[in-house]
Order: sequence, then structure tokens, then C-alpha cells
Amino acid sequence: MAYPSMGEAHRRITDYLNNFSDAVSDQDVASLAQLFSFSSNSPSLLSLADALNFFQDANRLIKQSDKFSQFGEILAPLFRLLQSYRLGNLVDAYHAFEKFANAFIQEFRNWESSWALQALYVIAYEIRVLAERADRELASNGKSPEKLKGAGSFLMKVFGVLAGKGPKRVGALYVTCQLFKIYFKLGTVHLCRSVIRSIETARIFDFEEFPRRDKVTYMYYTGRLEVFNENFPAADHKLSYALTHCNPLREANIRMILKYLIPVKLSLGILPNAWLLEKYNLLEYSNVVQALKRGDLRLLRHALQEHEDRFLRSGVYLVLEKLELQVYQRLVKKIYIIQKQKDPSKAHQLKLEVIVKALKWLEMDMDLDEVECIMTILIYKNLVKGYFAHKSKVVVLSKQDPFPKLNGKPVNS
Amino acid sequence: MMNQATNTQTLASLDPNSVESRYVVNASQGQTSSYVPSTAGSEAASWNMYRVDNHSVENGSFSNSTYHHVQQTEPSTRTVQDGSNAASLATSSSLGTTNAQPDYSGYNSYSNSTDPYSYGSTGYQGYYNGYQQQPNPSYSQPVGAYQNTGAPYQPLSSFPNTGSYAGPASYSSTYYNPGDYQTAGGYPSSGYSHQTTTWNEGNYSNYTTHQYSNYTPDTTGAYASGNAATNSLHYQQHYKQWSDYYNPTEVSCAPGTENLSIASKSTQVSQVPGVSGGYATSNSQAPPSFTPSWRPEPSSSQTPSLQPGATVTGGYDSYWKHGASSFQNQHPTPVQQHFQKALDSKPSYDNFQEQQKTACPQGLNLQYPVAQQSSQSYQPPLQTVQSVDTRRVSKVQIQTNPRIASNLPLGLPKMDKDGSNNNTTAKPAYISVSLTKPIEKVLPNDAADSVLKVGMFPKSLKNYVERALGQCEDEKQMAACQAVMKEIITKATNDGTLHTRDWDAEPLFPIPNADMVDKNNLQNPIPVSAIPKYKSPTKRSKSRWEPLPEEKLLDKLDPVNSYAAKYSSWVHVNEKDRKPAGASSEGKTDIMNSIRFPLMEQKSASKTVQRPVKRQRLADGNAADNGDASSDSDKEQNLTAYYSGAIALANTPEERKRRENRSKRFEKVQGNRAQINHFKAKNAGSGNLYARRASAMVLSKNFEDGGSRAVEDIDWDALTVKGTCQEIEKRYLRLTSAPDPSTVRPEEVLEKALLTVQNSQKNYLYKCDQLKSIRQDLTVQRIRNQLTVKVYETHARLSLEVGDLPEYNQQCQSQLKILYGEGIEGCHMEFSAYHLLCVIMHSNNNRDLLSSMSRLSDEAKKDKAVQHALAVRAAVTSGNYVMFFRLYKMAPNLNTCLMGSLCRENAI
Repeated sequence: MAYPSMGEAHRRITDYLNNFSDAVSDQDVASLAQLFSFSSNSPSLLSLADALNFFQDANRLIKQSDKFSQFGEILAPLFRLLQSYRLGNLVDAYHAFEKFANAFIQEFRNWESSWALQALYVIAYEIRVLAERADRELASNGKSPEKLKGAGSFLMKVFGVLAGKGPKRVGALYVTCQLFKIYFKLGTVHLCRSVIRSIETARIFDFEEFPRRDKVTYMYYTGRLEVFNENFPAADHKLSYALTHCNPLREANIRMILKYLIPVKLSLGILPNAWLLEKYNLLEYSNVVQALKRGDLRLLRHALQEHEDRFLRSGVYLVLEKLELQVYQRLVKKIYIIQKQKDPSKAHQLKLEVIVKALKWLEMDMDLDEVECIMTILIYKNLVKGYFAHKSKVVVLSKQDPFPKLNGKPVNS
Repeated sequence: MMNQATNTQTLASLDPNSVESRYVVNASQGQTSSYVPSTAGSEAASWNMYRVDNHSVENGSFSNSTYHHVQQTEPSTRTVQDGSNAASLATSSSLGTTNAQPDYSGYNSYSNSTDPYSYGSTGYQGYYNGYQQQPNPSYSQPVGAYQNTGAPYQPLSSFPNTGSYAGPASYSSTYYNPGDYQTAGGYPSSGYSHQTTTWNEGNYSNYTTHQYSNYTPDTTGAYASGNAATNSLHYQQHYKQWSDYYNPTEVSCAPGTENLSIASKSTQVSQVPGVSGGYATSNSQAPPSFTPSWRPEPSSSQTPSLQPGATVTGGYDSYWKHGASSFQNQHPTPVQQHFQKALDSKPSYDNFQEQQKTACPQGLNLQYPVAQQSSQSYQPPLQTVQSVDTRRVSKVQIQTNPRIASNLPLGLPKMDKDGSNNNTTAKPAYISVSLTKPIEKVLPNDAADSVLKVGMFPKSLKNYVERALGQCEDEKQMAACQAVMKEIITKATNDGTLHTRDWDAEPLFPIPNADMVDKNNLQNPIPVSAIPKYKSPTKRSKSRWEPLPEEKLLDKLDPVNSYAAKYSSWVHVNEKDRKPAGASSEGKTDIMNSIRFPLMEQKSASKTVQRPVKRQRLADGNAADNGDASSDSDKEQNLTAYYSGAIALANTPEERKRRENRSKRFEKVQGNRAQINHFKAKNAGSGNLYARRASAMVLSKNFEDGGSRAVEDIDWDALTVKGTCQEIEKRYLRLTSAPDPSTVRPEEVLEKALLTVQNSQKNYLYKCDQLKSIRQDLTVQRIRNQLTVKVYETHARLSLEVGDLPEYNQQCQSQLKILYGEGIEGCHMEFSAYHLLCVIMHSNNNRDLLSSMSRLSDEAKKDKAVQHALAVRAAVTSGNYVMFFRLYKMAPNLNTCLMGSLCRENAI
């Protein structure tokens, strides 16, 4: 790469400095945010980084003028950040960034209005992304990756700055969402609770006031949390909110929401259309849906096995596994329907042997006892209405609505 | 000590008389005639004058200083003569006299002569005797050289350096160049100037605090000595060694003093300072009792001067303040003198260099740095460190140093320091122990410095001081404008020598210390208890060294503490200042080293080493309750930090040296092990964690093979124990102290022990107990291998069999997870199956289940046990209890046991 001449480097750096001080004095947040978003790899920032690496003594330029030196705390680490980021030294870049961000927050605190929120968003985003990359670098060097954790605590601080009365509070949700991302990545989901509590219980936050994108993100993550807790109605509510408010053009986001919403809906007895799965490339669920429709236990198990890794990672494995009971219900219902076609008078008496035979046909090797156990559970869970005659090994189904639909209610557990 | 204290209280009134009497005696002894008569008259006058000055305190009349000056020279000459005469009694007086301040010296001498008696401990007398005997011969030799040096030294203070000040921007360079006398002179002078600067800046309060802190440490030291007083023999040995060390330093001191006096007389003077220095050193290193004497001197001197008629007890604070004020006045004066003389003596200085032995220059250099540090920072620890270093250097490195010094001016000082560092780099355990000692040393030094400054005030110096003051103020804030610093340093060189003299003399003044203690007690209603409090500050002072913020220091509410905190802040500033110079890092390391090592070195030098350790421990025990543990950890942290810095600095050769030193130390330590253990036992009774840990560290080090561990890995490696116990059975007892290798079984024995447990027919409780003790021994020795895994697996299985799930979960499973994670082979699959089952048992933890499932490798999923566990999970989640019990029937390994508990838990 051709390095710029000394004069060129000098010019670029002073340009940047001028842009910065202009943006601050004009409260031009868009350009300010642009100056910070280094991970966008915008050509101007890249060339600035080159200039910095070439010029080396940018701090002198900062100190040269009062206009810049008052922001020296912010600018000096920012330059260092750009330099080491350009050189690919992400850990150093992270350190510089944290210094820069802290200095910026300090400054931000002093600004009465919330004009710089956008820039703060950029910082919150960049620090998370940079921390993730720095962690990857650390991990590849055999060191313990801890930068993301550090970014988490930094963002907690930012949250503290924003979560007060005043115009800045609308920024709190964005930071919260960045925090969620960090916590989910780190697997320290329990840390979300305190943030959620302050968002949902604090009077100063009117949820609808927040920007829509933050609301969607927030609902998505809290919905995922509810999936973990197997609180399906709540998860359904939150994820549905996210889905309906999500920008319909953002298919990737919609897909992410559906990834959790579909299992939730399934466990509530609501099946998706095939075209939905296709459109959002969620075909791993299609077999599951098929299994539910057909009562095909084998298919369900295969589907689970096939995508076990994916489901385990996304955390819906256990949810999908619980669909088994619904599949049993479907199977029994099918048997019941067939029996009804043959002999309507005796259709409500289901012999266990028939079920065992059906399962055998599905290559499910279960004996009478197991089937009996399953049927008992079905009855207990109110998936089947009826009673069980142990001596004669017969399930006697209720004549009225023997297979009640879930209709959006979760299976009794 | 207590007796002394009481005496000192009354001393204020009595002192004048005593002083006078002493002077007379000295004269009779046949000191230089010319000086004696004049001085005698002047002494009395000076005394009075001094008091007056003190009263006026800040008026800072220089005329007084002139008096002092005269007095100083007189006492020194006397002492010198005494030393040469080898009068046993004279030595004590000489010590007193060595102090630049006549008044003080008079007090000191008085106290010294009476001291042994007042102390009531024969040990002290013995000490003194020992001092006199050895020091005298040793002194005589150095004297020749010293005389020469004396003349040269004056030149050292020489102005050429000052001229160079402006030129040489590098403070560090001057500092380091031992070879260059001029530079050396400049260095000390700079240090002096630093002091003056601080004074000028109006840090009177600081100064007072310094003294105060010093004082407190002294008292503690004294007490500690009282505790350990029984070992008089050890002290003597120490003293001897120290005295030897000090000789070189003494020489350097002598020049400073000599500067004041005429060149011809300077020879005598130089001798005297040398002797006094030797004493001082011996005192400082030696028993705590000596250290108190150091401090008391300044205090006593100040008190009388300040409040001639008033009782000491009345206003402790006021005394200090007065002292500070007086100090200020005095300081400027000495500087002036130095300058003037230095100018005159330059030529002689050159000669001196030639004449002098290489050793002498080294000594000088070493001392100077010390003086600088002390003057600049006023930090007791720093001073101690440097002083220690210088001592060490003088002894150990003298041979090598001369060459280097002559040839390589810059290299020598560094080398010396490094050497000291090496010594100091000792083990952490030592550090903890040694802390009290270094502090004591430092304090005496400070006291000595203060005394010296007060005493040494030639009129000529005044002008210089004034200039320095103006410059210094700016510098203070800046922390180290190097150029200014250099100037100051050059001046300080002279002062440093003076300081060294004071040092020597100071040890002789045990009584004043007692007085101070009493005063403290009086102020603080608690007489005895007050002492521990004071001690705590001393420890704190150590902590100051550490990067830790001063807040900790502030934690203690005692006024003393607050003072200490201020002090610490000072120190920090000073350190910072130094850093830029480049010497800062070394200084730090030196400090660190000194803190830990003084004891170590002593040990290595002689068997007496044990003694210091004891003393420290005892002292620790007294003050132990003052949050030793925290300080300990802090220290460790600090140490590590420092070490890292030191490491960065250290060249490979230096490192090598250190290692050698360390290994030597270890050898010595091993010899002393039995005694150490004994001490440890004692300490254990008192429940002093500090001491225990220290002992543990000592022990562990003893058992280290090479003992050549790098300084970096002090952490737990150093604490690792290698067991020697050969018994196979051992009851488990939760460790409440550092492990004793004699009760820890080595790996081979542990293996046997495991076998016997496995084959044992006894009940679970017995096995559990045995396994726990095995685990403990493994942990203590940091053994993490297949044996460890085996032990944990055995224990896990046993506990599963019995259904002791807490034991399984909390102890074995978690440890096994870590061990497997480290790649140690074992029955990984079996235990991941157990883990799965355990997670299932806590049925509401979906995320744990998910994560542990997703963490299973494909290989694991093919394992029979894991598959079984997964099947169990599926059965449980789907509620297929029939399947569950079938699985229960055919469960591999101990899955059955877990499933049994699973049944009970879930009421299946």
C-alpha cells in the first residue's frame, strides 16, 4: 500500500480533527457517529489510520490547538485505536477503545441534550463488536478471552448514564440490547435480569417511547429468555410483538425471530405454513411440523436427531422434544379416526395393542407397558380425554372432544 | 526501653547538663585539642542557640547554624579519636557525637552511656562491646582511606558538579555514575537539594509527619526488640557485619562532615564518621532497640531544642512541628556550607579519588543514592533499601566494584543496586517477615537524615539552600525537573555524607527513643497499646511502597496514620519523579528487595540470620491484628508488579546473579530450618497468619530443589510444599495454617494410600476421610496428574455408591471437570454420564442441561454410559417411566446409584 506523504498524512489527521470538533460544536451527530464507526471500514477512516500510522505523532497535533486539546482524552485513545485496529492488533485496539469510550461518556454526561445519542450508539455497538473480535484474537493466542465481559461492564456503565430522567433515557434500550447480545454470547443470561427489571418496572421508561428497532430487539431477546424458561405464552407474546413490529424487509431479522417463535407456537399447538418455512429458510422445522401433522413419531425423532446441534445451540431442542406428546396425541387421534371409520360404536375404546402395532409400524419399538405409560401421561396432560382400563389394557376415550386442541394454551406440565 | 522512656521525659530539663558533662569528658579523652576547646565553649553556646532557634522555629536564623556546625565538627573529632583510641566507652559517645548536631550528640552520648543500664538488658551492653571491638579494627583500616576520602569528599560536594548540573539533564546519569566523584558528589548533593526543596516548599507538615512516622516505627522496633531481646549474641554478630558494611558508607559520610571542618582535621573527622557509621549500621540492622535509638535522637534533639524547659510529654505534636521548623532552618545552612567547601576542595577531591580505594568510592556512591532517596522521598522504606543495598554492596561487591567504579562510572551504581536487588529478590515469605526490619532501618535513616540536616548547617550553605529552595518548589510539583534535581543532588551529596554520619551516631541514642515512646504514650492514653498502633503505621509504610493507594493507610484513624498517609503520598510523588530519570525502576526494585531481603541477606551472611526473622515475626505478632493478611496480599500484588518491572529491567546477567544469590540463600535457609520451625510454632500460638505464612514460605523454599526459581513465579509455586511424610494413613484435618512438609505425603506414598483406601473394608466415613486427606496433600503439593484424577474418581464413585451427592457434586465432579479439561486422562465418559444424570436430577435447569448436552462430543455420544444417560433424560422428559426403570435396571457403572437418587428426588 502506498503510504501517504507526510503532508498528506498531516492533512488527513487535521481534517479528522476538524471534523470532530466541528461535529461537536455543531452537534452534528451524524458526522460524529461517522467518525467513530471505524468497523465500517469507511475509506476515509482507513486512510486516516494509515496516516496515523505513518505520521506517528498525532498527539502533538491534538495538543497543538485548544480546539482539539480539550478533547485530547477522547482523541488520543481514538487515534491509538485506529492505529492498532488498522494494524490488526485488536486487543490493543480494544484497550484504546475502552479508554476512548470512557472519555466520551464523561463528555456525554456533561451534555445536557441527547444530541449525541447516535454517536453513543455507535460506540456501544463498536465496543461490542470489537470486544468479540479481540476475544477471538485472544482465544487464538491461548489467552483467556475476557474483553467481551469488559465490554459488558462498560455498557452497564453506559446504561447507568442513560437510565435517568431526561431526554437521554430513550437511548437506554439500545444499550440494553447490546448488553443482551453480549450476555447471550457469553452465556451469562442471568445478568439480563437486572437490566430487564429496570426497563420494565421503572416508571421513567415508557416502553412505547423507545425507538422501534430497539423495541423489536428487546422483545426478541426477552422472548428468547422466556423460551429458556419454557414460559411459552409469554415467549409467544414477546416474539410475536417482535415479529409484527420488525421491519418486513429485514428478512434475516424475521428469520431469527421465527426461529424461536415457531417452536413456541408449535408447543402451543399452532402450526406454521410450509411456505413460511420455505421463505425464511427454516426447513429444519418442516419435518417437525410434518411429524406433528401426521403423528409421525419417527419423523420427529429423526428431525431432532438430524438438527440436534442446531437445536441444542439455539436452545429449542428441549422445546421441540416436548412436542413428542403432541405427536402421540396425533397418532392416537389418527387411530381413533380410523377405528371410527371401521366401527363407530366402538371407536372410543382404544386397545393398547393397536397403538403398539402402530408404533411398531413407525419402527418405534415400544411394548405395552411403555405405551400404557405414555397414554397415562397423555390423559394426565389433558391431551386425551378418557380413562384407562388397566386390566383390559384399553383406553376409553371420552365421547365428547376426546382430543382437545391446545388452541394457544401450553400443554399442562 | 521503658526506663529510657521515662528518663527521656525528664531529659528535656536535664539534657543541657548532660550534654555539657559529656563534652567535658570527651575533651578529657584527648580529642583534637584545637577543636575541643573551641567547640566546648561553642557547644554550650550552640546548645542554647539551638534551643532559641527552635523556639523561634521558623525564623531560621542562620547564625545558629554556624554554631551547630562548629559543634558538629567537634563531636565528630572526638568520636574519631575515641574510635582510634579504641576506648570501649568512647564508642558510644562517639556515636552520639557523630551526629552532626552537637546538642543531639550530647544527648545521644549521654543516653548511650546510660542506655545499657537503663535498658537493663545486658544484651545491649554486649552489643555495644561487640561494636566497639570489631568496628574499631575495621575502622582503622578504612580510616586511612577515609581520611583521604574526607578531603576528596569535600571536593565531591564540589561545585564543578553544580556547574555541570545545568549541563547534564540526566538525573539518572549522575545518579548512576559512581566512578565519577564529581558526579557522585553531585548526586548526593542533589538528594540533599531535594530535601531542601521539600523543605522550602513548605512541606513542614510533611517533614513532621516523616519524623512522626519514623518515630512510630522506631517505637515498634524497640518493642519488637524488647520481645526478642534475649538474643543478644545474634545482635552482636549482626552489628559486626553491619559495621563492616558501613565502613565504606561511613567514609562517604565522613567527607560530608569533613566539608564543614577544615581539610586537615577532616581526616580525623572522617574517621569518626566512619566509626559512627559503622555503629549506626549495626544499630539499624541490629536489634530493634537500636533502631529506636536512632529515632529518638532526632526527636530528643528536637524536643530539647524546641522546648528547653518544657516537659516532653506536654506537646508531642508541637514538638514535631518545632522540629520540622528547626529542620528547615538547618537544612538550608548545611547546603550552603557544602557548596562553599566543595568549591574549595575540588582539587583535593581529585586527589582523593586517586588515593582512595575503589571500595571507598563505591561506598560513597552507594551512600549517596541512599541519601538522595531519603532526602527526596523521605520515605523510610526507600532509605532503608538503599542503605541496605549500600551495605551489601560495600561488603560483597567491594572487590568488583572498585574496578568497575573507576572504569565505569555509570555501570557501578547500577550493578550495586542490582546486586542488592538480587539479594532482595528473595522469596515472598521473607518479604513479609522482613518488612518490619526494613522499616526500622529506614526510619532510623530518616531520623538520621533529619538530625544531620539540623546539625549540619554551615553558613555558606545557606545561600545555596535558598537557591535550591526556589528551584525546588517548582520541581516538587513537577516531581522531577531533572536539571534542577541534579543541582540539588550535587548539593545533597554533601548532605548525604552528613546524613551517613548521623546515621552512625544515631544508633547510639536509644534513650531518646524511649522518651519519644513515652511521649506518645502520654498523648495516647494507652501506654502499651499505643505501641502496636504505632507499629501498624510502620507496616503501612511498607504498603506505601506498594502501588496501593494511600487510602489504605488512611484507614487507620490514628493521627500517626494520617501522617503516615501523607508520608506515603510523598513517597509516591518522589517515586514518580524518579521514574522518569530511569533510576526509578531500580529504586523501586531496590525497595522491594530491601523490604524482603534484608533479613535474608543477614541470614546468608551468618547464622544470626535467624534472629532477625524471629524478631520480625514477633513484631508482626504484636501488630499482627492490624490487618496483616490484607497487607500481605497487597504486598504480594505489589511484589508481583514490582517484579515484573524488575524483570523487564534486569539483564540476563543480572538475573543470573539474582538466581545465584537466591540459591545461596536457600542453602542457608535450610540450615536454619529447624529454628525457623521453632519460631513458627511459637507464632502459631499467637495466630499470626503473617508469620505462619512466612514460615511456610521459608519451609517451602527449603524444599525447593534448586531454589533457583525465577522471581516472577513467586505466586503459588513458591508456596508449594514437597511432603516428606511416609505414613500411608492420615486423618483429614482442614488446614488452618500453611502446610508442614513433615506431615504431607509425597506422591508415591499417596499412591499407596489410595490403594489401601480402595482395598479397605472399612466404612465410607473412614474412606472419605482418607481420601480427603489424600486430596489435601495433592492440592498442597500442586500435584495434578492421573493420580489426582484417580483419587477424585475413586472418591466420586465412593460417594455415589453411598449417595453422598453433595460430596460428589461439589468436590469431585467440579474438580474432575477441571482436570479433564486440562487434558488429564481418566474415565471422562463415565463421569460425563454422571454429570448428565445430575443435571437431569435438577430438572428445572434447562439451560444447564442444554449446555452440557451441546458440549458432548460425538465420541461421547457413542459411549455406552453417556448414551444411557441421554436415554434416561429422554425418558424423564417424556415421562416414560417404564423406560426409565428399564434403563435403571441396565444402567452401567454407577448410573444406577445416581438414578436411584434421581428416583428419590423426583418421587418417581
